Order: sequence, then C-alpha cells, then structure tokens
Amino acid sequence: MRRVALAALAAVTACTEDVTAPGHCPDFCPSGSITGVDTVLQTVVQRDSAFRGFVRPHEASSLLATNLPGVIDSRAIFLTLPIGDSLVVESGTGARGQIVGVDSLKLSVTITRRDTSAHNLTLVYYRLPLDLDSTKTFADLAGAWTGTDSLRSLNVDSVYALAGHVDLLRGDSVFVDTLTNRVTVIAKLDSASAPYVVADSGKAAFGVKVVADSRASIALGSVEAGLGPLLTWFAEADSVAKDTVPRSSTVGVRFDSFVFDLLSPSVDTTLDSTLAVGGMPVARSIMRFALPRLIRDSVQISRATLVLVTARPPEGVPADSFTLSAHGVLADFSAKSPLSPDPSRVATTRVHIGIARGDTVRIEMADILRSWQVDTLAPTTLALRQVPEGTEFPEIRFEPSTNVALAPALHVTYVRRFPFGKP
Amino acid sequence: MMSRTGRRLVAALFLSVSPTVRLAAQDSQFSVRGLGVPGRWESVRARTTGGAFGPFDPRSSVADVSLVDALQLTATAVEATTYRRAEIGGSRDDLRSSRFPFMSLAGPLSRRFVVGGGFATYLDRTYSIVTRDSQMLRGAYAPYSDRVGSDGAVADLRVAAAARLASWIAIGTGAHVLSGSSRQTAQRIYDDTTFLGTTQTAMVRYDGFGISGSVALDPVRSVRIVGYARSDNRLRTRLGDTETDRVDLPTTLGAALRWSPSPSARVAGAVAWRSWSDAGGFNTTSWSAGAEVGAGPTPFRLGVRGGQLPFGPGTAAPTEFGVTLGTGKGFSGNRALVDLGLERLVRKGGGLTETAWTVLVGLTIRP
Repeated sequence: MRRVALAALAAVTACTEDVTAPGHCPDFCPSGSITGVDTVLQTVVQRDSAFRGFVRPHEASSLLATNLPGVIDSRAIFLTLPIGDSLVVESGTGARGQIVGVDSLKLSVTITRRDTSAHNLTLVYYRLPLDLDSTKTFADLAGAWTGTDSLRSLNVDSVYALAGHVDLLRGDSVFVDTLTNRVTVIAKLDSASAPYVVADSGKAAFGVKVVADSRASIALGSVEAGLGPLLTWFAEADSVAKDTVPRSSTVGVRFDSFVFDLLSPSVDTTLDSTLAVGGMPVARSIMRFALPRLIRDSVQISRATLVLVTARPPEGVPADSFTLSAHGVLADFSAKSPLSPDPSRVATTRVHIGIARGDTVRIEMADILRSWQVDTLAPTTLALRQVPEGTEFPEIRFEPSTNVALAPALHVTYVRRFPFGKP
Repeated sequence: MMSRTGRRLVAALFLSVSPTVRLAAQDSQFSVRGLGVPGRWESVRARTTGGAFGPFDPRSSVADVSLVDALQLTATAVEATTYRRAEIGGSRDDLRSSRFPFMSLAGPLSRRFVVGGGFATYLDRTYSIVTRDSQMLRGAYAPYSDRVGSDGAVADLRVAAAARLASWIAIGTGAHVLSGSSRQTAQRIYDDTTFLGTTQTAMVRYDGFGISGSVALDPVRSVRIVGYARSDNRLRTRLGDTETDRVDLPTTLGAALRWSPSPSARVAGAVAWRSWSDAGGFNTTSWSAGAEVGAGPTPFRLGVRGGQLPFGPGTAAPTEFGVTLGTGKGFSGNRALVDLGLERLVRKGGGLTETAWTVLVGLTIRP
C-alpha cells in the first residue's frame, strides 16, 4: 500500500509542462501583438545591367541542335581523337599492326533533351573539315552543310520502333535510359562515307543536324558533361601471322561545340537596357537591391517574391523551357561577380516557352532575403541566370529598373518586430 | 572566528541566492496581462494552512521575524505540480506545470540572533497563448496561428535576520533583491506553407530592490501577534541593454494572529494588503485562516484563503479562493521532514474562471 501511495505521489508530482492555451483577446492576451505586413517595394532594384559571354558554345555542357524555321538553325560539331596508324593485333605481346583498311564505323551520340512531341526525329550526319575550333561559325561551315555533303541520316523514332530498337539492315540502334530519359543513338557509317586517312591518323570531324516534323530541338551530351560523342573504328590491321585481322578502336572527341544561325530578328543577341538571361553566348543580368533598413534589420521575412516583367519572351519549343535562377553573389564585381556557393542564396523558378511580353515571372526569394539579414556584410546583389547555362537557346529579357512603370519589384510579406519587454 | 554553524550558514546562503531552477510559483492566465501573478513566499507547511502560518513559520519568508524560531540550521525546498483548467467563453483548456517556487535557509548565529535567506517567486511570468486569425495577403485571406509566450519569473532573493529582544518581543528585517528573466517568444505560422513561419525570441530581464521589517509580540504564552511590512522600490525591465519598462512596486502591510490552545493544536489567521495600484493594477487584500493539529512528526494541516489578484481586465480585481490540506512526516529524528499538501484554487475575473489542483511536496533538512 505504501509503495502504491509513493508511486501515485511520484506520478502526480513528476515534472510536467503544458502551458499553452487558446488566447481570448484582448482581455487575456499580451498587450503587444504580432503584426504582419504585406507590401510591394517598387524601387528596390536600383541598378541593373546585363552581360553576355558567360558560357560559349564550346564550353557548354550540351551540344545544341535545333532546326526551328525562321527562329534558329543550330548544329552540333565535333572532332574525334586520332586512333593512330596501327592497332594492337596480339593482346598477349602487345604487338601492333598497321591499319590497312576500315570496314565500318559506329558513331554514338547521346540525346540529353528532346521534345517528346517531335515526330520523325532525324539526325543528319555531315563530314566536316578537321580544322574545327572555337572560332568556327555557322557561316564558316556553310559549305559543309549542303544536302549532298551529308553522310547519311538516321530516323530515331523509326529505329526505336523496331524490334530491340535495332536496325539490322543498316546497323543502327537506339537505347533509352528510362532513369535519365537519355537516348543513345548509334549510327553505322561505311568506309566510303568516312574513310580512314592515314595522313590524318584517323581523326574525323562530324556535324549533326536535327530535323523533325516539328519542334526539332535537341541537346546532345558534350565532353564537359561526360557524355561526349564516341566513334568506334572497325579496321583491318596488318598481322605477321595472317594477312590482316579485324580490330576495333573507340575514341572520344578532342573538341565539341555547336554553331548556329539566329534567323529571327527577335533573338538578336545584342544587349540593350533590358535584363537578358540565357541565350547563346549565355547572358546574365546583375541586379542590385537597395533594401530599406526596416527590411534589412528589424523584421522577419515570411515571403519575398521578385516580380519581373517580360520585355522579350523566349522562343523555342516547349522542351526548351528552362530554369531561371536568382543567385546571390559573394562580391559585387559586376559581370565578374563570383556566385555564392550557399544554397540558401539561390532561388529558382521555371520559365516556360509560350510566356508573352508583359507577363510576369516570379521568383520566391525569402531565403535570400533572410540570408542578407543574417549576413549584413553580404552584397545585396543577385545574378539572374539560366540553370544550367549553355544548354538552351531561348533567352528571356526583363524590363529594367530604368523602366519605372515595369521595373523589377519585390513583393514582401513580413512580420514586424514584436514589442518584447512590455507588460 | 565564525562558528562552524555560522560558516555552514553563510555558505548555504550564498548557494541559495543563486537559483538555477525554474522559480515560477504557479502559472496562471491572469499572468498574461500586467506584471504577472504574485508568488507565495511560503513553505509547504505554511501553504497547507492556507498561508495563515506563513508569518510564523521560520521556513517561510513572509515575515522576517519568524526566523527567530529557527533554532538550528534548516533548509527547505518546495516542489509544486499544478493541474489547471481555464474556462472562458464556453471553451475549456487543461494545462499543467511543475515548478520549484521556494527555497529557504535559516540558522542561529547565537541564541537570540538568527539569519536566513533564500529565494521565492515574486511574480510569475509564464504563459503561452495561441490565437487564430487571418490576413489579406496577395489577394486572398491567409489563415495563421500566433503563439505568444513567456517563460520565466521575477525571483525574490532574500537575506534576513531576526532577533529576540525579550521573551515577549522579537524583530526581524530583510533585504530583497528582485531579479529574474523570462524567455519571450512570438511565433506566427501560416497555414499556407509558401509563407514561411516566423519566430522571434527575446530574453527579458527584470530587477528591483526591497526591504522588509516585522515584529512579533507574545502577550501571553499561547498567543503570538505578528505585524510586517515590506516596501519594494520598482521593477525595471530590460531587453538587452535597453530599459523597456519601469513600474513602481507595491508596499505590503500584513498582520497575523496565532493561538496555540494546546501543544498539539494551533490555529492562525492572517491578512495582508498590497498597493498594486502603484504598478498599474488593483490594490489587493488577502486573508487566510488555518490550523495545525498534532505535535508529533505527522501533523495534519488545513486552511482556507481568499483575496484578489492585482492584474486582470475590467474595473474589478480578479478574485482568488483556495482550500488546502496537508501533512508531514519526520525522518531520522526529525532531521529530515517531508511535507505534503494539496491545494484547490479557484480564480475568477473578466469572464475567466481558472481552477487548479496543486500537489505540494516540501523537503526540510536539519543537518
């Protein structure tokens, strides 16, 4: 009995805490209250400018091939590594034999982005001169893009529709990675269309054009993304024991890029006072915020939305929709401002193809504002950029702060400082 | 040279005026407005007699003169667990909390001179209020929940002394340092999670000072009359280095009568008045009556108390009424005493009715 009594006493006197009750205001509420404010700061962006050239085609993680009549014509180009003049014919001894001929080649490219509504998606392969480099333009290679110069074409949709996704007749195949949605296209070329030239040590340069019934816009993986094109040579090598033996060698690319022709005057790459983002070469816009001291020092941000008015909408196919990022910077060096690695200083939104001039693009950036409140030495500057850069052609432009009526604005919802210390 | 007992006492006093435990006496919705709810400066023994024995109890700090009966070094601590119900406007909320509201230490320096000290809750500042509302944000009403809370108290750190001047009269005096803090929180959570929740916190500190004096008269052997007074200067509220508020604190006047018709029975009554209007509240008068039966190590105690609370809505002070009972048990030749008590309390005011059951446990050590 005594133990029961002690246990009961211990139970009712054990430490316990629940002091939260619904408030009945104003009689049984504190004199101070939490005050929420919702306001639009129209002139918070006070200096902005756009810069171009952050990613050039040969630095991009994608090789853009687009064929949108009247808008843009873009083609991937790449130069393969040489295979040399001999191949290993005896793996045991490492003995090499001179390449005396080529039976065929297989060229593999990876489509990392495509518009799934584009039917009869076809890759057209061209043989290009070996002097490809980053200075080459669409016009420089104009002579190589004639129809008669094309090696062959491969209808991706048709091959994929075949059993096993393999064209046994032509030796082509298509593989789809269901996890990443990447499509690997392997095209067989014969030695006549891509001969082995001893003087070139087996180097070869190719161009890839895309065509489709509509919306022909794809991105091929590049060396920068680890998904560069691969070329497999099926060669005949001289052997001591026999006349020749078949050997194969797969090489990657030494250089890859893409060239393009901007057909539409609306995709003019010349910068003006608007805030350009994306495009090619890639543009960024720098926005400098002059936050009121109240916002910087005294309030707690619930929501902050950067409101941008479209001055020139992006053009392309729906698959060209891209991610727009407002990225905090470590220091404000204008175009050369280093981007902050802090993920809390990055806010993104999706920009869809089809947005019209005058439409607003909103980026939720409460975390960025909060980080600026915490780090009062951080520059209140944002870089508007495409993510990832250099993988899309479309470029969007926003109205700048100099356009007072349509200037970037910050819609902020915040809570004022609570009057602590008052009875 | 200070005696061994004296050294122990000084050391214990030093330790006791640096409380690290939560001091709030008893949370109440009436502590939301104004300065808070006044604490009780009573041991479990005194509290279970309705507080009527407080001015006579050397383990309590109501009247400094009561120290004169601390004939050996005595340390006392109180633990209180309260189960509370607040009813207003048809809604009912059950709340609970555990607190360590009181500790005292006393011991004689000589046969006629006793010193003591300790801490007690002066004002309880613990509450947490949740309200629901909505605000027009971006073209639509955004419902939200606000939680405003305070967790803390103002403690009364006392150093006191009492002296028996003659067999029929004793006096006592004390100095009180009021010190404390409350961790205050203001939180807003929107139902729409695209609006981030906000939480603001602040540590608010309080300080003040007071003095007290009391006299005890024994006109006959079985009767003691105690009169006491206390004056606290002001309560200063600081947020960081900034003073955010300063209010005057009340003067306290009280008197009590104890009658001991036999060695095993004692009854007492007490009344106290406090000028809380100095602090922007209502002046309060509180009364109590109680009895203790049994002279041995297991007495039985009961009491009743009533009065007002200083802060509340409207033009009339909230009222308070309580009934208590308790007992005690001595161990190791009464070197250790455990007191148990149960208190039923009803507070009313401004449409709010607050009822509470409080389980009291007191531990007294006489080394």
